[in-house]
Amino acid sequence: MIQLERCSRWYGQVIGLNDVTCTIGPGLTALLGMNGAGKSTMMRLITGQIRPTTGKIEVFGMEPFSNSQVYRRLGYCPEIDNFYEHMTGRQFVYHLARLAEFTGPDASKRTEEVLEMVGMSDRAGRKIAGYSKGMRQRIKLAQAMLHNPEIVLLDEPLNGLDPVGRHEYIQLLHQLAEQGKIILVSSHILYEVEQMTSALLLLHRGRLLATGDLMVIRSLIDKHPHQIRIETSEPRKAASLLAGLPNVVSLSFAPGGEALQIEVRDPNAFYDSLTEISLKEGLALHGLSSPDNNLESVFKYLVEA
Amino acid sequence: MIEAYLFTSSLKEFLRFRRLIPWLILGFGGMGLALIWPNLNPNTTPVDQYSIVTSTLVFHVLALAAAIFTTAIISQEVEQRTIVYILTRPVPRWKLLFMRYLAASTVVALVGAFGAVLVSVGVYKGGFLSNELLVKDIIAMAVGAFSYCALFLLVSLLINRAMIVCLLFAFGWETIVPNMPGEMYRLSVYSHVMAIAEHPTSTGGGAGSVASGLLNTNAISAGTAYATMFVMSAILLAISAVWFTTFEYVPREDAE
Repeated sequence: MIQLERCSRWYGQVIGLNDVTCTIGPGLTALLGMNGAGKSTMMRLITGQIRPTTGKIEVFGMEPFSNSQVYRRLGYCPEIDNFYEHMTGRQFVYHLARLAEFTGPDASKRTEEVLEMVGMSDRAGRKIAGYSKGMRQRIKLAQAMLHNPEIVLLDEPLNGLDPVGRHEYIQLLHQLAEQGKIILVSSHILYEVEQMTSALLLLHRGRLLATGDLMVIRSLIDKHPHQIRIETSEPRKAASLLAGLPNVVSLSFAPGGEALQIEVRDPNAFYDSLTEISLKEGLALHGLSSPDNNLESVFKYLVEA
Repeated sequence: MIEAYLFTSSLKEFLRFRRLIPWLILGFGGMGLALIWPNLNPNTTPVDQYSIVTSTLVFHVLALAAAIFTTAIISQEVEQRTIVYILTRPVPRWKLLFMRYLAASTVVALVGAFGAVLVSVGVYKGGFLSNELLVKDIIAMAVGAFSYCALFLLVSLLINRAMIVCLLFAFGWETIVPNMPGEMYRLSVYSHVMAIAEHPTSTGGGAGSVASGLLNTNAISAGTAYATMFVMSAILLAISAVWFTTFEYVPREDAE
């Protein structure tokens, strides 16, 4: 369990993280925010590379700074693209395995296992200096997974991976999350995060804007009514039937005339009413979507607020 | 044993051939200087010849090597941003620092000993082992290596761009202070190392004597020099360990 309590971190006169309180438990959680939002600062605080200026941070109930007991249970894949370039991938992972308290034979065995896991077994004999960005990401993940940690922190891990690599990487993260591990992935790419998880920590300018499930967060944003698009061959009839519902804020015809765009306050109540009306009045519905019920919209609404 | 692995892996890293090339060149340069010395000054004895070349070149190279290898212990890792990989491992920071310091000091001592042996070969040719100063020089270089490395380690932990400060110390302070009037020479590591080496006192003045720190009489006894260097190194290492365990080491651009 990771706990931050009123945690702030200043770099001179610049604030990196501002009064953040949150708890991160088992499963896959995404740390989302634009560049400079404070994601890496939060990662560094959790990994004990830096201390909070004010507030408290605990990992498994312990202060993480320079704490070997925490590092035995935590794996970290940093954002940096720096390595011991003269080493091969295998040597690099083996070296870090030894530093993770594996004996020589155990380190060799575990190195091969994690290289296999990240799909680098066949290329690990090459010098890191010649690796592509995607191969570097995989090697970074391998070193983070060496000691089978309970917490895995991944800072922008999908940068540079090809689509197949991304898919495999995300699958692997899901598998780890299913094993009950605490996986925290930082990203500034909404599409990536949406593919990964709906559990979010949303940072903006050092502040935690929202935390929790994407849908729950969306439902709590009252300022922006939910947009619903209904595709029907009878848009005028649908409009006349739905306009009077108490949750409907606005209603317009989509370009092309085969769909209605509706803004509602309480989407669940609206969906109940819509089902009832379509059955009762024989209204043919061909499609139903919620264009702003996604991460991009939630992020936009929260940041604008 | 994590300690043994830390030491051997650091030693392997510091002894990479590419890292050693400059020291091989300097070593053979010292041997070349020893070979041509009789042509430059035909009146010197082999003992003087060996003594001048080692104190002018090899003992100063020792400080240079210490500056370069010591900054590789932590500063280089910070600058290359690879420090994150080692600081997020379950290795106590003081242990990491100490074992890497030991490896760096060993390599610096080897570099110095290698230089001294090559100069001895340049002076005595095949009978280089008959050089009575050689063994004491190698011991002095080992003491000097551990002392310089302890000093530079602390400097590299305290300030950014430590290499500049270390080089200024190695070539400025360590050249000027041994020649300063009164007891000032006692403030240099070089004077203590030379006290352990116990080279025969030479006279004559000139640029060679300045570089050799021979403008002053070195009244430090070998015993005092050993004790001083040991105590100094122990204190510096203790401060370094506390400092490194207490303070944050994130790459500079990340900290801004």
